[in-house]
Amino acid sequence: MWWGGRGRSFNIPPQKEPEMGSMQVSRMDEPRSPQTSSCPALRCLPGERVLAWAPGVRRGLEPELPGTLMCTNLRVLFCPQGWQARQDSVLNSDYDFSLSNIGRLEAVNGPGRPQILRPGSLLKFIPDEILIHGRDFRLLRVGFGDGGLEPLAFRVAMAIVQAREQNSPAQHYEGMILSKACCGLGSREPPVPLLETPEDWEAERRRQGARGWRVSTVNERFDVSTSLPRYFWVPRRTLDSEVRKAFSHFHQGRGPRLSWHHPGGSDLLRSSGFYEASDPNREDIRAVELLLQAGHSDIVLVDAVDELPTLADIQLAHLRLRALCLPDATVAEEKWLSALEGTRWLDHVRSCLRKASDISVLVTSRVRSVVLQEQSDRDLNGLLSSLVQLLSDPGARTLHGLQTIVQREWVASGHPFLTRLGGSGGSEEAPVFLLFLDCLWQLLHQFPSEFEFSEFFLLALHDSVRVPDTPTFLRDTPWERGKQNGQFSSYTQVYTPGSPQAPPVGDLVPRPLTVWDWSLRYSHQQILQFYNPCYEPHHSDSCSSREQPTSVAPGPPRSIFLFSRGTLTPLNQLCPWRDGFSSLMSSSRWLPRHNTSSDSLADQEWGLPPHWGASPLPPGLLLPGFLGPQIRLWRRCYLRGRPEVQRGLSAPTISGLLDELALLQGLLRTWSSRSSTSDHTKTKDPDTPPTPSR
Amino acid sequence: MLGKGVGGGSGSKAPKPSFVSYVRPEEIHTNEKEVAEKEVTLHLLPGEQLLCEASTVLKCIQDDSGQHGICGKLVCTDFKIAFLGEESTLDDNEPQFKNKVIGENDITLHCVDQIYGVFDEKKKPLFGQLKKYPEKLIIHCKDLRVFHFCLRYTKEEEVKRIVSGIIHHTQAPKLLKRLFLFSYATAKQNSTATGPPHQTVMFDTIKDWHWELERTKGNIKYKAVNANEDYKVCEKLPAYFVVPVSLPEEDILCFQGRGIPIWCWSCHNGCALLKMSAFPKEQDESNLQIQKAFLDGIYKTIHNPPYETLKTEDLSNSFISLQEIQTSYSKFKQLFLIDNSSEFWDTDVKWFSLLENSNWLDIIRRCLKKAIEVIECLEVQNTNVLLIEENASDLCCIISSLVQVMMDPYCRTRFGFQSLIQKEWIMGGHCFLDRCNHLRQNDKEEHQRQLSLPLNPNKSSPKRGFFETDHLIKNLLGKRISKLINSSDELHDNFREFYDNWHSKIVDYHGLLLPHIEGPEIKVWAQRCLRWIPEAQILGGGPVAIMNKVLEMMEEVQSLQKKIDEKHNSLMTPPLDGLSLLRKPARLSSLFPFALLQRHSSKPVLPTNSWKTLGDEEDLAKQEDEFVDLGDL
Repeated sequence: MWWGGRGRSFNIPPQKEPEMGSMQVSRMDEPRSPQTSSCPALRCLPGERVLAWAPGVRRGLEPELPGTLMCTNLRVLFCPQGWQARQDSVLNSDYDFSLSNIGRLEAVNGPGRPQILRPGSLLKFIPDEILIHGRDFRLLRVGFGDGGLEPLAFRVAMAIVQAREQNSPAQHYEGMILSKACCGLGSREPPVPLLETPEDWEAERRRQGARGWRVSTVNERFDVSTSLPRYFWVPRRTLDSEVRKAFSHFHQGRGPRLSWHHPGGSDLLRSSGFYEASDPNREDIRAVELLLQAGHSDIVLVDAVDELPTLADIQLAHLRLRALCLPDATVAEEKWLSALEGTRWLDHVRSCLRKASDISVLVTSRVRSVVLQEQSDRDLNGLLSSLVQLLSDPGARTLHGLQTIVQREWVASGHPFLTRLGGSGGSEEAPVFLLFLDCLWQLLHQFPSEFEFSEFFLLALHDSVRVPDTPTFLRDTPWERGKQNGQFSSYTQVYTPGSPQAPPVGDLVPRPLTVWDWSLRYSHQQILQFYNPCYEPHHSDSCSSREQPTSVAPGPPRSIFLFSRGTLTPLNQLCPWRDGFSSLMSSSRWLPRHNTSSDSLADQEWGLPPHWGASPLPPGLLLPGFLGPQIRLWRRCYLRGRPEVQRGLSAPTISGLLDELALLQGLLRTWSSRSSTSDHTKTKDPDTPPTPSR
Repeated sequence: MLGKGVGGGSGSKAPKPSFVSYVRPEEIHTNEKEVAEKEVTLHLLPGEQLLCEASTVLKCIQDDSGQHGICGKLVCTDFKIAFLGEESTLDDNEPQFKNKVIGENDITLHCVDQIYGVFDEKKKPLFGQLKKYPEKLIIHCKDLRVFHFCLRYTKEEEVKRIVSGIIHHTQAPKLLKRLFLFSYATAKQNSTATGPPHQTVMFDTIKDWHWELERTKGNIKYKAVNANEDYKVCEKLPAYFVVPVSLPEEDILCFQGRGIPIWCWSCHNGCALLKMSAFPKEQDESNLQIQKAFLDGIYKTIHNPPYETLKTEDLSNSFISLQEIQTSYSKFKQLFLIDNSSEFWDTDVKWFSLLENSNWLDIIRRCLKKAIEVIECLEVQNTNVLLIEENASDLCCIISSLVQVMMDPYCRTRFGFQSLIQKEWIMGGHCFLDRCNHLRQNDKEEHQRQLSLPLNPNKSSPKRGFFETDHLIKNLLGKRISKLINSSDELHDNFREFYDNWHSKIVDYHGLLLPHIEGPEIKVWAQRCLRWIPEAQILGGGPVAIMNKVLEMMEEVQSLQKKIDEKHNSLMTPPLDGLSLLRKPARLSSLFPFALLQRHSSKPVLPTNSWKTLGDEEDLAKQEDEFVDLGDL
């Protein structure tokens, strides 16, 4: 939609000269071997060495693009001719492949079968063409001409094989620095709060209007949990000592914390599973209950994994999806749909949306507080809580809002990015975050005017996961991320409870780069495409009017429910330890929804519950469709490698209309200034329609 | 007079289908007076007559699975089945696209597809004479609507009358003259007469054919003939049609028009698309020889200069069979004819495989592909293409219309498209009556009925005149369309090359559009298939939201353009407002413009059981009040 026309795809670098001053990157190392002396200049990253290069043409898309294929110790990249001089970002989002992103490397010679180059492989021939399949679904095809340069092509292919062997996935490009002006989305947007300081948390709490909550500093030294952020929100009435006590009875010490406060008065909490082996005393149980209850009289516990795919399911589905979307997938076209169904990826997307939609109704329309509980609290909890916020809160649907949510619910909350994305080599790889992005794309697809960000932004976020330019997605916990940045060295010794006035980190060390520094990877023009031209913000403050006084009722909660398989089951108690049984401990996953008789199922899905405030749905709430025909394949992401599909992606766009609009407005302005000033007042305000400058 | 014959008041005996006591339209005076006394008026068209009725019928609202109904009267006329209920349609809840004649609760008789009765919770198809009358009537319509009428509270007498009346009038074989309200239809006269580009060309005069020949510059090599005036030669052929100039007119008379190449359309390079009805297969030897000699003569005529080399495409033998189309469509439509939402849920997980099993999308793909192959011959190889089919009135219509839509920008304007349908389908002799089984002659013959449908999914969007931007259409076309697995012959290679070239857009092909036919590209035409399924609506979302934005911006662009022109000319002209008609400030549903705004839109996706224990009694009472309020909505 935001794509330019064919041949104007937006990987074409902008016309204007880059501001070289804004970037401090080291000079390229001196060439080591004679043949690199004629290598075209590459603006290297700090510590980057060009290992091999060969001139070639980018194939697969018309027109073919002449340039150079390079392999360095950090990445493989294709430099189109004349590209360097006009590039205003360090990395190129279209032709850069970090070594860990290379999913499959193929060398082709003539019509024969391509050779797949694995670590340790020896290339059997001089290749005509090299295909690099990214794990992010991108494909780079570089062909090599005759011209006596074949040895170069051979050398670059072997260099890639060796570089991949030596590469460590947790390694990131170090030492890059951006000028202040280039951070984040630029001057138009406030910086994304990284939530590494109590000030960030406090500001965020105020913004949400969560008056019953405060910022706890109990984990400032990561001694409650290393996977938790240093600060989080707990009920105002609880003491840090109570928090510490209560959290020890939860898996990995991740007790219940606030994720989001609904203006209507309800809260969305997340927590890990109860630590079964614990034997809490009466006081501890009371503390746990206080935290879970958070002052509400009715509480709904949601088993996050219930009805959702397991991590292994997600991983398997993603692998199948990737295999299906490879350009040479051997699926007959008339069997494409069932093959797609067979991956089960869309099924997983559907179940996530469905569950998130259920929870959003509970939180917003029913104004009930919901505690999301997942054994680890680090995967599906983040997915659900983010989706619920995006469905319920129009503010979350802005660019800044989404980035804040990802930072808070995923990065700061300790989603194990490195492990889940396959970086730590273990068997626990599962692209939960990518599943979330797909869900989000479905929402964007279904509600094209409700989101400030565009599909391109989602793609950018999707691809960022495989670019090791910042540690954001390369660490498993906030603790490791902080350790890397050396943030706590200065004050781990001077911890004083009650006065969390640590010196701001920025004063000591230059601000570390985060994934939100888009200008590392994207040019100014590309960043402009992050904005959705269809966006119409029209739900401003619509639900805040319904603010209800939070009934802070000490004492036991009046009703506790477990929400599972689409129904609510009353529970006798919050904590499992008293009777030694918790329904949460018996996994209910993958069981079909209770009642499949036709009548009651329809009621379940669409019937109006007779109690709990039958108010109409708040206007800002999105109820996504999740029926078979409504869940779509994210073609622009997954089918990027298939050239025949790629071609059709360059459709005429709203942006095209916007351009024309701008042109006409410009013309009109010229005319207006020339003609009489009395006429000027009659013209419509040219600023009313969205302008392409956004 | 009412309900005469149906049941006939004869008590328990099943009504005899032998009744034919139609009162002729001239004899009946419309029952306006009587009808006016009812709560909701039954609007009868001139000549339409009421046949039977039943009161206290509940129309069940689908999403509530029969638990919620609207009480009213079910009537059957000789034109439609109608439900007259006290439905309070809110002003802003009117569908955008409304038929002037057929209301929301009207089912024209020929729109009825299947009728089911529910007996003790079991659903059975109804036909013929019934021994037992159902407690619920389910009507599946050909336009994919599903109606549920609960008869539990209706008087037994009335149940019998209405059920057998409906069954009789929808299922018994019919005379053509009873099929449509011709007397009503003729009342509307042809209104303003403007020239062809702004009016549908009917192709019922020789002038129209001349105009078309001139428009496509086919008049050098092709001529319009009037040999079939008054249908002297053949009833299936149009009165006027176009043949090669060098074809002797007496040839047309030889075999009632069979074996004659009939012109469809000429391409910009002079190549033409032709069609020919083939000779029936079983022939004795001597006849076969005569035919062969005849055809040889014909081919000689059109194989020589000035005619381009000719390629023939035998659609009867090398393409989809009509049987395939019918089987596939029957499966496909079942996906959307759902009786309650739970059925939809059940199919949900297997949605893609069910869809694929129906084979419908593959048929669409093959039609599009065949059209592209034909285009490749015309456009690249500079050959004429002759489509051959038994009657040249089924698959020929699909392929030739598709080719023209893809190649001829005029066919993508509203009037151009209407003229195309008129030329290829109406005048082309497509057997609408048989294919749609309007006369209910034989349910088996119905297999060919959905023939005209494959055309539509690909065309619906470009019909709009203001979308005449080729890029946009290409995109719209492309969206609906899937990788070609084909025998790798020469044709395939040519095809592939042509297709790839066009899609990489190196050459300018003068307004040519090629749809995408790869696997992921062919999609369900949701706007048509899902429009009656409330669960499929996305309130405030869907492609309509983008469309709205596009319209808004086009309006803006146009008004600015206008202003610039004004400034330029220093002339004052009234501002244009044409496009704003299509815009509506309210949130539109994804099924716009077909569906009503969902009535239960405020119902959250939450369970009802186990909620009862919540809250204390007082809260409960209060909240139930609120619930009632909302229910009245």
